[in-house]
Amino acid sequence: MNFRRMYKTFTVGAIMTLLSAFVQGSHSAPEPKINMPYKKMGLTQEQAAAHLLGRFTFGIRPGQIKEVVDMGLDKWLQQQLDGNISDEEVARRLPADSYDALAMTNETIVNTYLNAGQIIRIAAKNNLLNKDSIRNLDKPEYRAQLKKLMDEQGYKAPQELQRQIVNQKIVRAAYGQNQLREVLTDFWFNHFNVSLTKGQCQQYVLTYERDAIRPNVLGNFETILEATAKHPAMLEYLDNASSVSMDNDMARQQEKSVLNRLVKQRMLAIVNDTSKPGAKILEQAIKAKKTQGLNENYAREIMELHTLGVDGGYTQQDVTTVARALTGWSIMPMYKDGPGMKLIQAAGPGLMAKRGFVVEGDFLFKADKHDENAKTILGRNFPANGGYEEGKQVLEMLANHPSTAKFICTKLATRFVSDTPSAELVNKMTDAFLKSKGNIKMVLITMANAREFWDNKALREKVKSPFEFAVSAIRATNADVQQPFQIYNWCTRMGQRFYYYQAPTGFPDRATYWINTGSLLNRMNFGLAFATEKIPGVKLNLAALNDNHEPESAEAALIIYSKILLPERNQDDNIRRLTAIVRDANLEKKITEAAVKNTVTTPDMTASSMQDDMMATTATAPTLRNRKANERAALSKKNLPVTTLYVAGNTNTVSQVAGIIIGSPEFQRK
Amino acid sequence: MKSGALALFAAGVGGVPTFIARAADSRKILSPYKKNKILVCIFQRGAMDGLMVVSPYTDPNLKTLRPTLYMSPAETEGKLTDLDGRFGLHPSMQSLAPFFTEGRMAIVHGVGSPNNTRSHFDAQDYMESGTPFSKSSTSGWLNRAVGLLGHDATPFRAVSVTSSLPRSLYGDNEALAINNLQEFAIQMRGNPLASNLASKSFEQLYDQTSSEILNRTGKESFDAMKMLNVNNIKNYQPANGIVYPNSALGNSLKQIATLIKMNVGLEVAFAESGGWDTHFNQGTINGALGRNLKDFSDSIAAFWKDLDAYQDDVTVMTMTEFGRTAHQNGTGGTDHGRASCLFVLGNNVKGGKVYNNIKTLAKEDLEDGRDLPVSTDFRSVFSSVANGHLKINNNKSLFPTWEGQGLGLMKG
Repeated sequence: MNFRRMYKTFTVGAIMTLLSAFVQGSHSAPEPKINMPYKKMGLTQEQAAAHLLGRFTFGIRPGQIKEVVDMGLDKWLQQQLDGNISDEEVARRLPADSYDALAMTNETIVNTYLNAGQIIRIAAKNNLLNKDSIRNLDKPEYRAQLKKLMDEQGYKAPQELQRQIVNQKIVRAAYGQNQLREVLTDFWFNHFNVSLTKGQCQQYVLTYERDAIRPNVLGNFETILEATAKHPAMLEYLDNASSVSMDNDMARQQEKSVLNRLVKQRMLAIVNDTSKPGAKILEQAIKAKKTQGLNENYAREIMELHTLGVDGGYTQQDVTTVARALTGWSIMPMYKDGPGMKLIQAAGPGLMAKRGFVVEGDFLFKADKHDENAKTILGRNFPANGGYEEGKQVLEMLANHPSTAKFICTKLATRFVSDTPSAELVNKMTDAFLKSKGNIKMVLITMANAREFWDNKALREKVKSPFEFAVSAIRATNADVQQPFQIYNWCTRMGQRFYYYQAPTGFPDRATYWINTGSLLNRMNFGLAFATEKIPGVKLNLAALNDNHEPESAEAALIIYSKILLPERNQDDNIRRLTAIVRDANLEKKITEAAVKNTVTTPDMTASSMQDDMMATTATAPTLRNRKANERAALSKKNLPVTTLYVAGNTNTVSQVAGIIIGSPEFQRK
Repeated sequence: MKSGALALFAAGVGGVPTFIARAADSRKILSPYKKNKILVCIFQRGAMDGLMVVSPYTDPNLKTLRPTLYMSPAETEGKLTDLDGRFGLHPSMQSLAPFFTEGRMAIVHGVGSPNNTRSHFDAQDYMESGTPFSKSSTSGWLNRAVGLLGHDATPFRAVSVTSSLPRSLYGDNEALAINNLQEFAIQMRGNPLASNLASKSFEQLYDQTSSEILNRTGKESFDAMKMLNVNNIKNYQPANGIVYPNSALGNSLKQIATLIKMNVGLEVAFAESGGWDTHFNQGTINGALGRNLKDFSDSIAAFWKDLDAYQDDVTVMTMTEFGRTAHQNGTGGTDHGRASCLFVLGNNVKGGKVYNNIKTLAKEDLEDGRDLPVSTDFRSVFSSVANGHLKINNNKSLFPTWEGQGLGLMKG
């Protein structure tokens, strides 16, 4: 039994959480009945099902409208709100051998998928870095040595971890049964954004989504708030892990202790004796410790972005005080060669518990770094010596604040209904939020029961994000995506490099953000490349969507596939306009001839080798070149370039028509 | 109307581009194609070692702090280009040195952020948002700059030659992130006839959609596409037989030069350069830093010479998130520090000078006893360039919460 396992056995806090959830559960009101007024709003069942699927899933699959109508719209929504349908297809597409990280603990990830700095340190320790320069990182012999070393010690490159995070998101959205859970995972991740651009939190992003977000998206707001607050990804991303205070007895005693004085004297002696090898490093460590202090980043964002909203009625004083209340909220040391691990091992769990330290999984409350003074936040007093519980009370207060209810409901309505949701709708949802103590399901049911959700103004009002757009194309065509990373590259080109949004605000959720000239051209190009199977690893069977009947003409293809890909939408005008263009009996022949003359030889065919590797599924044996690229990538802190691969594809009329429909404005709308 | 891409519309394509019509409609501009000024920003990610790039070589502390990294103008000690008797330019930057001598390039030293974070992520975030203590700023400073230009423009007004939009350009004003300009077209790979057909179809569809934003942006996209004409990009020939370094930065700057010469309405351009995080063996003349600097310097020099007749309209400004420790570390490199230096190049720059408030490298003058302190706020440099070159005179909006003064780097 290792030390960390021992700590995991003392999870008093976790048990308390369970208990309180139980108590809360027994008090909360029953969920309102689903009763969607689409008939009153003049919609047929089919139209209503299309709208419901458009907003609560990542896109309508062929035949799905009928399925939902047959099942009953209310029942379908209830099933999605329960969100527990078994997902064999997702499991099949994410096999454990090529997606090992998806089930790993943070601890295993941290000790397997090293970040660039850790890799360099290991290389330096093993004398792989010679005197020449750091640039020898690019040399093949160095990379071969490093690769060998990493393989021997069981280490993997961080890029591989990122590949798994990215691919699983695409797979779940495209093929998962629990669509609403996935849509909400996308929503709440963006709301509580963390980013792979920040090295310190990179390794935790996968478990952040898996453990803090996905299980909580249909629960209570307070639960998801607390889960994000305590997750290492957020603690690193917004720096709370390094926000400390010495305003507590333990720190003061330590400072005064004889041992501490002796240690200090000894350290100073080393620092002053520059002949000692460790002098410089020790000096830096002492400096680093001195510069430690309060960091307000998380406290500010939890109020501005996660709960109250910027106009939610808090002051700068509240920001500082919340930051003080959250001092000591930190991360259990996990890296086996890290300094924190030694400290924890020296202290032992018994002593730590006695001193008010709290361990819950990977979360660590450091009592000796917590500000123990009394505090006033948003007018409420918190007595001195509140310890860990104080922070929890602050979160509870923030989660259930009326400003929070309004802010969260506005965001949900913006996501599901309209870029500019009406005050009436937001008010209904806010009431439901407050009455149910932040029960997200109830808020969603209230939204779906509202006339505003079904209003003519709301239909097709939302423009899909690039991710929603790409995934909806996969779903609409029943496409088989064998290299999800290719879809990711396209999303980046279209303006949504998900998991890499740098600011804690998350991506703005409005059409004006997503749609600009460059991104729109890329959407059209995506439609064409996708439908003509020019994106590697994307397989379509368009004929199967039409019961394997071949349309008689381009005109017929247009009519048939408009209906298949955009069910329940009136396409008459579009079809009329396009007919004029495609009405040429010899069109297909001409295009085929043109294609023969210009066989695919584009510079993009030789995409950057690193990207090659990122795109390849690990199921196929990586080539030598890919492996090398991976090693190089492992040491590169640079952002990944986006180079898009094309394969020969299929330029028959049906594919092209489908491409035009997918790239059309109507397909951009939810 | 000016010549260049716009002539296309007059001659062949027909009609006035949508975005011009819209601009004229809103009465914001009368003459959209008066030549605009162009600001090109280059972000050096990873924190460039300002003390080695523009070295205060006369300071005796430097040699003590950096025994194996020290260089001076003396032949035997690395041969810096002496700039002013106090500072010397790294030998790998010879291609830029003449611009300093000619008075077209200014160097600002001791630049950085008042926020003392030494995290790359945080420091870049703060420098790019322009709000050094607030992470939740929704916009970047260059995007705000675009909004303050005071006239409407083409889709190519703000372009970042990167795979995704940099933090500097986050915000409400339209900005394009495009890695490769050749991708700015409707493409059916290897099949021009099909591309043409698809393009026509899309144009029809976007022309009639009931969604206002898709309709408007769709029209603009097709206008922009015709304006840019991918074939011209493929066949771009730099002026005077200039050859750009075959590097990421060289390639980015070449594309920016292409946009400038096509006269498509570019006003703010962004490129980036990596590899500045030199913790290990940064070396002297031919070390890791030296090689990176050579690419940096040669790319900018090639860009500048390529601009040729367009030089009067362009200012180039470099930036990096922070500097590095005054002393070298145990592995022949330097660690994260505070202030660094930056370069501003343009015919309208009061150049030939190393602007600085640097004291000495004696321990008592260093921040925390180890780092070159920030003696010039980055915003006083950025605002000076924005004010002087782009004629933006609203520092309150450009850098909210900042109340400092611009540095006065620009003429007139």
